[in-house]
Amino acid sequence: MKDLIRIRDLAVRFYTYEGIVHAIDDLDLDIRQGETLGIVGETGSGKSMTALAILRLVPYPGRIESGSIVFFDKALGRELELLKLREGRMRAIRGNKISMVFQEPGAALNPVFTIGDQISEVYLLHRRQELGHRAKQRVDSLLKDGTGLAAGMRKPFWRWQHRLYNKIAQESNPVEPRLLSRLPLFRRLLWRLRDEANLLTVDILKDVEIPDPARVAAHYPHELSGGMKQRAVIAMALACSPELLIADEPTTSLDVTIQAQMLELFRRIKVDKGASVLFVTHNLGVAAEICDRVAVMYAGRLCEVAGVEEIFLHPLHPYTKALLDAVPMPGKELQTIPGVLADALNPPPGCRFHPRCPSALPMCQQERAKLKEVSKNHMVACHLF
Amino acid sequence: MELRSYIIRRLLLLIPVLFGVTVFIFGITMLFSPIERVSLYVTDARQFTNIPALIETYGLDQPFFVQYGNWISQVFSGNLGWSRVVGMPVWDAIWHFLPTTLELAMFATPIIILMGIFLGTQAAAHKDRPLDHGTRVMAIFGWSLPTFWLGLILLMVFYGYFRGLLPPSRLSVPMELVVHSADFIRYTHINTIDAILNLNGAVFLDALRHLVLPVITLTVVQVAFIMRLMRSSMLESLGKGYVLTARAKGLAERVVINKHARRNALIPVITVGGYLFAAMVNGVVITETIFTFKGIGWWAWQAAVRLDIASVLGFALFNAVLFVLVNLVVDILYTRVDPRVRLGGVMQ
Amino acid sequence: MSDWKLMVRQLVKNPLSLAGIIIIVIFAFIAIFAPLIAPTPEGHRDPYMIPRDGYSATPRPPSEEHIFGTTEGQYDIFYGVIWGTRSAFHVGLVVIGIVLVTGIVLGSLAGYFGGLVDEIIMRITDIFLAFPPLILAMAIVAAMGPSLKSVMIALTVVSWPSYARLIRGDILQVREEDYIEASRGIGASNFRVIIRHALPNAIYPTLVMASLDIGAIVLAAAALSFLGLGAPEGYADWGQLTSFARNWIVGSSTNPLKYWFAVTIPGLFILFFVMGWNLLGDAFRDILDPRLARR
Repeated sequence: MKDLIRIRDLAVRFYTYEGIVHAIDDLDLDIRQGETLGIVGETGSGKSMTALAILRLVPYPGRIESGSIVFFDKALGRELELLKLREGRMRAIRGNKISMVFQEPGAALNPVFTIGDQISEVYLLHRRQELGHRAKQRVDSLLKDGTGLAAGMRKPFWRWQHRLYNKIAQESNPVEPRLLSRLPLFRRLLWRLRDEANLLTVDILKDVEIPDPARVAAHYPHELSGGMKQRAVIAMALACSPELLIADEPTTSLDVTIQAQMLELFRRIKVDKGASVLFVTHNLGVAAEICDRVAVMYAGRLCEVAGVEEIFLHPLHPYTKALLDAVPMPGKELQTIPGVLADALNPPPGCRFHPRCPSALPMCQQERAKLKEVSKNHMVACHLF
Repeated sequence: MELRSYIIRRLLLLIPVLFGVTVFIFGITMLFSPIERVSLYVTDARQFTNIPALIETYGLDQPFFVQYGNWISQVFSGNLGWSRVVGMPVWDAIWHFLPTTLELAMFATPIIILMGIFLGTQAAAHKDRPLDHGTRVMAIFGWSLPTFWLGLILLMVFYGYFRGLLPPSRLSVPMELVVHSADFIRYTHINTIDAILNLNGAVFLDALRHLVLPVITLTVVQVAFIMRLMRSSMLESLGKGYVLTARAKGLAERVVINKHARRNALIPVITVGGYLFAAMVNGVVITETIFTFKGIGWWAWQAAVRLDIASVLGFALFNAVLFVLVNLVVDILYTRVDPRVRLGGVMQ
Repeated sequence: MSDWKLMVRQLVKNPLSLAGIIIIVIFAFIAIFAPLIAPTPEGHRDPYMIPRDGYSATPRPPSEEHIFGTTEGQYDIFYGVIWGTRSAFHVGLVVIGIVLVTGIVLGSLAGYFGGLVDEIIMRITDIFLAFPPLILAMAIVAAMGPSLKSVMIALTVVSWPSYARLIRGDILQVREEDYIEASRGIGASNFRVIIRHALPNAIYPTLVMASLDIGAIVLAAAALSFLGLGAPEGYADWGQLTSFARNWIVGSSTNPLKYWFAVTIPGLFILFFVMGWNLLGDAFRDILDPRLARR
């Protein structure tokens, strides 16, 4: 089976007032179909930036300097080089084939629009043809029925509506409806699209286990609790059944009990929707719970990638080992990783971790190690191997 | 219903404020002698012949609160005194001069709001690029312009240099005659509207021609203000999480800016709406004076220079009440736009 | 303290704020050295009254004797604008000074103590703010008789409420911070807490922004003088000078811009003075907002 995402030699740099920050350096990573890959690391490790880079949402003053991100579009059956796509085609992928869930659900939702509106927006954007088709069918059934006709509305009006929605359903960018949607007053004539989108919204809210979804959809974000908000955001991301769901620390801002529910939800999504998930987190426990494979990053570089059991039972990279050691356990003395986080502006030469590494070799100062497959499906970037 | 109780609550809170306003205004009048204060109570010029009797009647040598009581009851019965400078009761003067000012405001306000919001949004969307820098310099320049000087310069160029292209005053002499003739019905006393209602194109165009310069003078400073405010508000909005989410959904940049970011950015701008009104009144006084537009601003200036206190205070009172009402409207508008203010509480 | 150094450096780097600083420095220079730049003639009693060269109403164009020409009533424009700089600084600094002190005192009291004190002070500011500023200023000046002093009083009365509110807002924000609780926890008196802890942290930004409003104050004073409600006729005040030009906007039929100097020059002085402060203020606003400052 082809890999869903193949990242090679990715470099992302930030051109700031104080200097150039190497947020991501020389990254090689694969995401396989149907797997949940976790990226683990401290703040500044570049894990969030990797997620944003896939969607080409790296904020100013950052730039994707070089590298390649290949996405295998299952529906098209083709590979796409994401970094070379035109912006218009990239937009067709965002929210549709690859979607993202952010850390703070309260911040991610727009306070002036209802939940339902924000989710329907995705359907209206990416599933217009299907909405048109459904609307047309409803108009058809009304025409046949005869009783549903509003008093005073004549048949030609309904036939015109039918034609309109048929056009939307058939063509990819029909002229007449598009013109209509631009004119403020006439936009209302396409209200059936919105209705259909709202129905789909209620469905997806049901999928993420939000109780009484129709009522919730009519509410504003500030009226919902944290857990509900996050579910709504997840619903928004899952609306178009994406092939890849990127979750950037989705549980970090929630309290522990809600966290557990959220992870349960993610597990169900994995099973039901069959999507791949890229799960970014700094919490090793969460990663252990939910991921199939785990990648460890430090200072913009990949240290180790392996299956979840393998990496927790047999960590190879000194940084991974130190991270696992640092997890507090009752009865154990608290371990820390000595030294300070690598300076983003002036990172240490060679291997970025070497100043803090207990097993550093002299060559670690000069040369960085390349990612090597040490045992089956277990790759490390360290001179010790 | 929540909104209704909110409005009622706000209206109730207005009362102490309005009370304080009237006390304050009245306090200022006490700086004048009783003879001068007589004009606050008079409704007819002939009454001035017998001043001592008036002082007696209105108790102008009585203690403060008695006088205040007298005056307030006068005010409530619609008597704001006599305007010396225009020879009519203050109340009548206000309604006589208001249409002119309304005409100016009618044209200026939409321009200010639309241009300010548009330019501010564009400046924020193109931050640090030439458009942003350009609008910023323009804004600082506009904000530093003395309104009166701008008016004079505009007149000098467009009336003087271009030989009467854009003249001062509301209408040229021939059109004045038309407007005051029997054939022309002045429904609203706002020349442009009346011209449309009378289907008189010549008057309409003439009125417009006379409006160009005053409206420009009035709008330049305010546009600069709104634009800067909108820009910083937009920048704050664009930095928020929901903008990133909107982009991650695949929305076009134009939709992200205009739909998602701007709606939120408008919220602080709306709350400033009250101040816009105040700034307008400021500008109106100066503009009407320079261009000889006989509106309430012009009237207030005449009154202030000639120490006609009844007029000045009548104007101040009128303004204060209007201002407070405008703020109320702005507050209500604010609750409509920002759902967080309108509805509270968390559902499970 | 290094925060300030960084701020100053950023100000100097930004071309707009640098221009503002230069403009202000030039005006300060003019104000300080006014007697040298435009010496008061012998026997002239009040240096702030502009010397007149005759009594004819028609303005005379720039010449050797009168560098910027004379305006209606033969007042020397050059003298007027140079000494007008002094008036401008005088009015601006006095008003801002009083407004700041009043604003700080009342705002801190309202913000720190809250409750009834806060309510009362807020209602008072509401009342003042219910008036469009120019109207209130006009009323006060009309009541007290036109003079520069009444203008200053009027502007002070009109401006202090906004600053009181700003300071109050700052204090409210700061009040919740932990270090306030901490210092009260070790027994510091309320007064001490306000002066030493709350004020410095809360008000630096407001202080800075307020001082840069001096431009707006001078603009308002000029408007009042222009309307005849401020400085007396012949006083060296920019607004006053501009009002002379009202009758001379249109020159003769052959040369409509004949008296441009009477209109343009005093106004330009106002424009640049206010612009200098606004440029600086604008740059400061950007700096104080950390998100917009860097990058």
